Amino acid sequence: MAVEKPRAIIRRTLLTDNQVLRAILGICSSLAVTNTMKNSLVMGLGLSFVTGLSSLTLSALRSVIPHRVRMLVQTLVISAYVIFVDLLLKAYLPDISKQLGPYVGLIITNCIIMGRAEAYAQSNPPIPAMIDGLFAGLGYTGVLLIISLIREILGFGTVFGMKVAFEGFVPWTIMIMPPAAFFIIGSIIWAISARQAKQAAKQAR
Amino acid sequence: MKKGHVYTLLFMLLISAVLTFALAAAYEGFKPAIRKNAALQEQRAVLYALGLDTGLKDAEVEAFYKDSIREGELNGVPVLVYGQGGPQAYAVPFEGSALWGALRGYLGVSAPLDQITGVVFTYQNETPGLGGRINEEVYKEQFRGLPITPDTVLSYGEGLDAVTGATQTSAAVLRTLNKALRESIFPGEAK
Repeated sequence: MAVEKPRAIIRRTLLTDNQVLRAILGICSSLAVTNTMKNSLVMGLGLSFVTGLSSLTLSALRSVIPHRVRMLVQTLVISAYVIFVDLLLKAYLPDISKQLGPYVGLIITNCIIMGRAEAYAQSNPPIPAMIDGLFAGLGYTGVLLIISLIREILGFGTVFGMKVAFEGFVPWTIMIMPPAAFFIIGSIIWAISARQAKQAAKQAR
Repeated sequence: MKKGHVYTLLFMLLISAVLTFALAAAYEGFKPAIRKNAALQEQRAVLYALGLDTGLKDAEVEAFYKDSIREGELNGVPVLVYGQGGPQAYAVPFEGSALWGALRGYLGVSAPLDQITGVVFTYQNETPGLGGRINEEVYKEQFRGLPITPDTVLSYGEGLDAVTGATQTSAAVLRTLNKALRESIFPGEAK
């Protein structure tokens, strides 16, 4: 298999094959942490860091990992990086660590990371694998930020904690709760799928 | 890429050892910062229980705490005392078990032991969004200013609401607080 060019990987992971919108992975945390932009950003960066480094590590080790226990090794490597992120947040961003609470530990269970490890890192060289993991994470971050922008404005009247709403704005309580993210993600996925279907139809003609 | 059992076993042992060692090293490096944050959180919790929650900045909390809080005793139980000259309020540490795990925190009482100045939880492992909501202001603030006497047994009802959907956790909180009242604040008094 020919190695993909970095630009192609970036384009694929951010747009055409976005993990949240196209592969429908990482939905749990997309519903949970997107009520404020700050939480989304930290969660996204944490996930990008973990996915990038775990893909790099697993790809570098791919010829020595026994095939039968590869998933155990993947989980082990991913957990190690997640615990590292957790320690980092506890040490330097205690407030965010407290707000994200159990979700940081749950990065381990985010399907995107193991998805990239299984689908890409185990059959590609380390550097492309790292780029693939990192940008798959950043693609996830981008989607989280879009969802949280909508939710934070309508739910709190703020952007990154700064007030943007006009006087007398009544916050929509539902926007703070997970169901709101469900509707927003659904709408975005619908819009993108419709657009891609249209493009595919055009190409077919 | 078929590899033998011995290789697989050794590989797992080796990678586990390497990763564990790396994490242990990272933890050692972060420990001072993590400890400092934990201490700050503990101090903020004590101030909250004592009703001194005045929106201090992180840097100010430590100085304020040092100036106004000292370690003391209440009926032989180690507590934290607030007040220059005479004590004005006590923060009594409590520990109990809730639905999923231990529950720790401070129960603040005024010095004449006639009202609760505040309740705070420093450790809890309850379900986020359900039992975990005991950490929310709406729940904790209910305890502030409640009158107490040696006969007081807290119960939900008028003026004190449990958390909806978290019956077990809510009951565990009162059980723990009542135990603290009985054993630490009014020990040996007739019930």
